[in-house]
Amino acid sequence: MAVDEKPAAGDDNPYAQYYTVKKGDTLSKIAEEFYGDKMLYPQIFEANRDQLKDPNKIKVGQKLRIP
Amino acid sequence: MRKTTHWIVTLAAAAMLAACAGQKEPATQAIQKAEAALAEVRADAAQFAPDNLAGVESTLAGLKDNLAKGDYKAVLAGVGGLTSGIAALKDSAAAGKSAMEAAVAAASAEWSNMSGDLPKMVEAIGSRIGTLSKSKKLPKNIDQASFDSAKSGFEMMQSTWSEATTAAASGNVMDAVAKAKMIKDKGAEVMQMLNMSAG
Repeated sequence: MAVDEKPAAGDDNPYAQYYTVKKGDTLSKIAEEFYGDKMLYPQIFEANRDQLKDPNKIKVGQKLRIP
Repeated sequence: MRKTTHWIVTLAAAAMLAACAGQKEPATQAIQKAEAALAEVRADAAQFAPDNLAGVESTLAGLKDNLAKGDYKAVLAGVGGLTSGIAALKDSAAAGKSAMEAAVAAASAEWSNMSGDLPKMVEAIGSRIGTLSKSKKLPKNIDQASFDSAKSGFEMMQSTWSEATTAAASGNVMDAVAKAKMIKDKGAEVMQMLNMSAG
């Protein structure tokens, strides 16, 4: 799973980790990849509320912050 | 003849005594002047040029010993070197003080950057450890040993950060920066253990 090493423009924490959504990704899948537990997807959803309205709707190319 | 010789010896001795007595005052004043000059630079010299200070103190002690023994000629012969030594000591202390002030200014600027940056690193790592602690199992690229090391490393970062801010608050910026560098190094290590990419 590819990880973006540079923070998105405007983010003030240079140590934050980001992930760019690929085809077939879900928040659960991303949570399992980064946390080992797909049930922790709300952590990612909450950290990206500025761009996500629904945890089931993510778009390819979206850059998500992984808290 | 014997009487004449006796008088010559007596006169010579008197002349020597008079000469010595004539040197006592300038020798004493020279030592006092040197002591006063040294007193002016002693505090800075003790901090910034301690080895040079020890050398000058030793020379002064030797000349004072000569003064006490009445060897004014030796005092007057050596006081020039002592004066030069004090002047050089003053220059060394001033150079050391100037270098220290420059280092403190650089450290202050560095601390200013680090004190803004490191809490973000601590926050990012703390957030990830908090989330991973809630996970039923660790992700496949992090084993339990790495996670445990990361947690202890994070605790070390937090305690060292507390020490660094205390040092900075008490004016010891050099120490604060040294601790901040330790935190940054440890943070990079911990981020690697947690498979977090550094920005």
